[in-house]
Amino acid sequence: MAAAVNRTFWSDPELSKFNPLSRIIAYDQFSKGFRGYTALVGNYEHTLDNVLPGFKDMNQPMLSNGTHWDTGSHGGHDGTYALKIASRPRPRSVNMALKRFTFRKACPIQIEAYLAFKPEATDLTLSASDAGAFSLVLDLQDNERRIMPHIRYLNAFNGERIEKWQFKRAVEPAMDVGGENSLGETRSHHHFGADGWEDIPGGAQQLCYNEVPTKYNWHYLKMGFDLRSMSFTSLQCNDRIFDVSTLEPMRMPAWPNLNCLFNVCWTVEADSHKRSFLYLDSVLVSGDWEDA
Amino acid sequence: MRESITAVVARGDTWSGVAASEPYDVAWAGEAVIFLRSLGAEGNPEQARAWVQISPDGMRWVDEGSMLPIPRVDEISSVRVRNFGTYLRVMTVLPEGSSFKALLTLSLKE
Repeated sequence: MAAAVNRTFWSDPELSKFNPLSRIIAYDQFSKGFRGYTALVGNYEHTLDNVLPGFKDMNQPMLSNGTHWDTGSHGGHDGTYALKIASRPRPRSVNMALKRFTFRKACPIQIEAYLAFKPEATDLTLSASDAGAFSLVLDLQDNERRIMPHIRYLNAFNGERIEKWQFKRAVEPAMDVGGENSLGETRSHHHFGADGWEDIPGGAQQLCYNEVPTKYNWHYLKMGFDLRSMSFTSLQCNDRIFDVSTLEPMRMPAWPNLNCLFNVCWTVEADSHKRSFLYLDSVLVSGDWEDA
Repeated sequence: MRESITAVVARGDTWSGVAASEPYDVAWAGEAVIFLRSLGAEGNPEQARAWVQISPDGMRWVDEGSMLPIPRVDEISSVRVRNFGTYLRVMTVLPEGSSFKALLTLSLKE
């Protein structure tokens, strides 16, 4: 049966390595461009000085052919380029890239990706504890609630390799971002930072680091979420499938002007005074719905 | 259709002393227009110049040869560059006591 199902993808071999739900919302191979993934600017009024501190390190993602000093260009999984998100070279600096959707119908959705995660190759050593973490965050809102599922792989913390999956449900306080002249119309909450994460039960996993910082191996990641119940449905990385029954997203009352919000956000986080890089070769977003 | 992006590489970063933008991967691009704005300043940063650098690895940098003025607050400067290889950045050395908030934008096109 599995072989038969796979044959339906043979007309497009690049899709056969994914397991999408019944409808593909977006299939983004970054060798074809930025595909709508962009930078996040923290919310503000009047001046950028009012952006919350955790957002100030964020800048634009790149299209990278993964060029290193010792091996030249690495390339992507399916093509020459990958979307590269780079932290600043200081511990716990976070950068992110996101794509902004809205959803047509509350239904099961799924995010799949082929990705690689490495530190900057400034030292001729293993450097495996220099890459801090990467995460996949969804930003969702229905008519009543704003819901934010957070999943991260914590590779290292304070120089120690941790190598486990975590989730975050602790809500960060929303702050006015207008300074002394706040209009009270715009708020911001920095929920991508290093605080508040909880271990996923059974979530230890060693990824394929591969000996030196200039080699990277592509990993498969899948996360499922149900927009009807606003709960996790799946989490898989390569050969490991995790129990998501105890995972919770951040939950808060609906914010103004965010109806049907559906953002797909990827972050990278440094652990040392080296940049950490998340490379996304491709991201497939799918859903399972019928229009009424 | 030609791929393009306008990338805000520094968004209000405070530059002082020896300062440089974060490395930006540009192997796919054939041309760049670099814009530099000052969103606020102390001292006299406009007395200095910034210049374009290229790199084979994102870590070791070579002067590309193009210069751009550091603008006064709310002004903007620019420079056009081509044939830059894989990585681009902008660096400067500011006089002691001078700093500015840099808005550095790369307009890249295939």
